Amino acid sequence: MQRNLRDHFEAAVSDDPGFALDGMAQAAIVEGSRLRRRHGWLAPVGVAAGLIAVIGAVTAPRLLADAPKSADSPVTVAAAMMPVTAPSCWREPVDRDATDVVIYLTDVTGEQLSLLRELLHGDPGLAALAFESREEAYSKFRTRWATNPDLLAAVTVTDFPAAFRLRLQPGTDFPTVRARYENAAGVDRIVGRRCATDAPVGGVQ
Amino acid sequence: MTDTRIAAPMLGGWGAARRRAKAARDAEFTAFVEATGVRLRRSAYLMCRDWHLAQDLTQHTFARMYAAWERIRNGTNLDAYSRRVLMNAVFDQQRRRSGSEIVLADLPDRADRASPATSELRLALVDALARLTVKDRAVLVLRHAEDHSVETVAAILGLSVSAVKMRDSRALSRLRALLGEDFPDR
Repeated sequence: MQRNLRDHFEAAVSDDPGFALDGMAQAAIVEGSRLRRRHGWLAPVGVAAGLIAVIGAVTAPRLLADAPKSADSPVTVAAAMMPVTAPSCWREPVDRDATDVVIYLTDVTGEQLSLLRELLHGDPGLAALAFESREEAYSKFRTRWATNPDLLAAVTVTDFPAAFRLRLQPGTDFPTVRARYENAAGVDRIVGRRCATDAPVGGVQ
Repeated sequence: MTDTRIAAPMLGGWGAARRRAKAARDAEFTAFVEATGVRLRRSAYLMCRDWHLAQDLTQHTFARMYAAWERIRNGTNLDAYSRRVLMNAVFDQQRRRSGSEIVLADLPDRADRASPATSELRLALVDALARLTVKDRAVLVLRHAEDHSVETVAAILGLSVSAVKMRDSRALSRLRALLGEDFPDR
């Protein structure tokens, strides 16, 4: 009868869409290297501690070797200009099932901007809406990289896009939202993130 | 290998050795992902009812494991370790999203989308799982979908053996109550 229960669980995963695994290892290597650089060995230790205690198969873990590296320094100006994902969001943007969205604008006219604002205000799929001007984006950048004069010298306010930040109502389908706005005049690109409810609207800091 | 190191100039030799070590490590890690990824993702799915989220959780688990690979590759029970990282990711995600209820969308939404003929029972089990607490769900998935021993499940979840047994029997009877006669006794 135990066998029978097992079969139920097997059947429950029978619609596995079978995402490719070969890309997964590569992506994990890239992301894992980044994690290791950022945290040294500290981060995974908390996860492992309990297992080590019970399974007891591991020789003394290197608890405090390789202290965490100091502040992140970006490789390029473009990387430094990237908005920072809020801590309570998934680290990478998502293509579907987003809870929060940022609509980046290009050189938008005043008229296009108010049209877009009107559309967004009337959209029942949104739970919250905020606007960030390029001045605000630039000022955040200056605060964040205040100790890095090279970066500050490399960009001006016009390098930053203005953006709308949205929080979707629970159940609102992100691809639909994206399709609705991505071709609107003045829209450059649309980025979705998956966030906890305490994240800032849009999922970026 | 020793030959090259002696023949090459000091710095070049070190660089080449390090590159070889990384290539070997990456190959070993890739083989591990390919051997265990499907199973891990299916367990993630049983926990969250969403294949895309399951994919994200699996990806996250492997990234964490790669970050610790040097330390865990020998001597650690990698299978159990990966489950622990996965379950912690699920618990975190759950805490961050709502604080109390299940990780994902509302139940009716899912039920509507199903094509009843082929997937009725399958959905029934996954949806019933979603109605349990996340810890109970983890116990059932590890114990019955993955066939881990009670002791291993206890190690993975950081619970005592008796707590696992208690949760298991309580969760099974809840499942049975939700699924009715379709569900096997044991």
